[in-house]
Amino acid sequence: MQSNPILNKPRNFLSFVIVWLIITMAYVQILIFGEKINFTIALADGLIFNSLLAGFGLSFWYSARYISVELYSVPKILISHAIGGIISVSLWLCVGYFITSIFVSSSDDYSAFFLNNIGWRILVGILYYFLVISFYYLVIYYNNFHEKTLRENELKNLVTQAELKSLKFQINPHFIFNSLNSMSALTTIDSTKARSMILKLADFLRYTLVNNDRQKNKLSEELNNIKLYLEIEKIRFEDKFDFIEDVSPESRDELVPNMILQPLFENAIKHAVYESLEKVTLKFKSFIQNDFLNISLENNFDSSSGNKSGSGIGLNNIGDRLKLIYGLNNLMNVEKTESIFKVNLYIPLSK
Amino acid sequence: MKNKTTAIIIDDETLARELIKKYIANHTNIEVISECSNGFEAIKKINEKKPDLIFLDIQMPKINGFEMLELLENPPVIIFTTAYDQYALKAFEVNAVDYLLKPFSQERFDEALNKAFHYLENKSLQENKLKGLVKLNDQKHDFLERIVVKDGQDISIIPLEKIRWIEAQDDYVMIHTLQKKFLKQKTMKYFEEHLNPKDFIRIHRSFIVAAKEIKKVELVEKETYQVVLEDRKTLPLSRTGYNKLKDFFK
Repeated sequence: MQSNPILNKPRNFLSFVIVWLIITMAYVQILIFGEKINFTIALADGLIFNSLLAGFGLSFWYSARYISVELYSVPKILISHAIGGIISVSLWLCVGYFITSIFVSSSDDYSAFFLNNIGWRILVGILYYFLVISFYYLVIYYNNFHEKTLRENELKNLVTQAELKSLKFQINPHFIFNSLNSMSALTTIDSTKARSMILKLADFLRYTLVNNDRQKNKLSEELNNIKLYLEIEKIRFEDKFDFIEDVSPESRDELVPNMILQPLFENAIKHAVYESLEKVTLKFKSFIQNDFLNISLENNFDSSSGNKSGSGIGLNNIGDRLKLIYGLNNLMNVEKTESIFKVNLYIPLSK
Repeated sequence: MKNKTTAIIIDDETLARELIKKYIANHTNIEVISECSNGFEAIKKINEKKPDLIFLDIQMPKINGFEMLELLENPPVIIFTTAYDQYALKAFEVNAVDYLLKPFSQERFDEALNKAFHYLENKSLQENKLKGLVKLNDQKHDFLERIVVKDGQDISIIPLEKIRWIEAQDDYVMIHTLQKKFLKQKTMKYFEEHLNPKDFIRIHRSFIVAAKEIKKVELVEKETYQVVLEDRKTLPLSRTGYNKLKDFFK
């Protein structure tokens, strides 16, 4: 529940009191020098009526909060406040007059003065009522709006998190099973090689599984893991592909989203290496240009195999992930010719 | 029966082939007569050497294991060896005797081999058993992504977007593309079920047409319609075909 915006912070209350002191002083001055009213009457009238007005103003908060715009219809609200205004103003005038009379010695003079300008007092009271109520409604509206935006942002954040989770790279089980099958064969053919392959697969899995909660890693770390993956594939398909890397020194330490390269390479291996009878060359390149880390992977492929290379979910996921993480479109594009397939990533620099 | 069962191993991975050879080495009544690393090579070798049994991987370059089988006139006994478990049903549709999931043990391998020996001795018995199995499951399959055909001595891979229409021709179907037509030994029903109905419509008992090729439907005479293609070629349209087209373009 919201509390009175004037009372909820000492600073607000202090300014409220100061404003009212200034108003009261001005009011008393006008009565004494403008209207030539006796000093005691002017002071009593000014202090009592203005303190009452200030106090009432604080209590209007509850009527503004109770008669909520969201719960009641407009005519109902208007009628409620018309009645509220009349009651408040009448109460203010009656109580003010009664108390002031006690303090003032010549009550006849005072009642003459009071009756003389009662029209003004009613007008000021009603205006004041509506001004304060409007102010409160504005505060409530602003608070609600603020809270709503906060909640919306929180929700958006949650959705983004969930989406990122669903786009996260997942190890292709066939890669693992096929590798295990190769190791099973190697155990009798070349046990040293078998052990080395087991260790590589273990390192690859550890990096992939353990690092899964980290958002970003250095390009060099990601690339080292990719090399493990490629070395394992190389044991399976000895002469079917070559890997060439061209990584500029300053790009090595740049941060990239966790496992963002893996689907890139998997796509190339699956669509080019697995499908081709000839040797495939994978060319990896990274450099920094215009506040972006440019990454590309290029491979030749056999167009006659009739498969739709590059239309894979893996690649789409990369684009979607980059968009979610960096809030920018077009951070990935694909170039395809008769025999060359190239994916470019543009990653905003973290500094 | 010959005194030794002959086998060919088809797998694109050298180590995978080596492992099968190791497992086979523990049996005296079977001999590996050839090894192939892709489907093209395998078709040639199978036609030439006529093995009793093949060990077949599914995921291979150019044409996969299933596509290779479609191109064989008298396929030998098949044992699939793959890391993919989602093809098991399809494997039984093509009458494989067993489906080995990589990695597999010597025991599991021996079991598959025994099934194969059993099958080679009394074919009919086993066949019925498998047919029953297949019937239970044959409602589920993926749509084709391409069609592989034998074109004289060559093998052609036809991407689906090149196909204009398919026409029944006795026991075969004729697949028409812009440049050429290809004969394939399959039924219309097979293509109707294995082509995505979003792209291909069976408009007649003897015709399936690619939706993108249809230019208009014309009234020939009272209640008789025909489909006109982009190049003004016309195909007959049956009553059911007409209703299907109406639903399709709704």
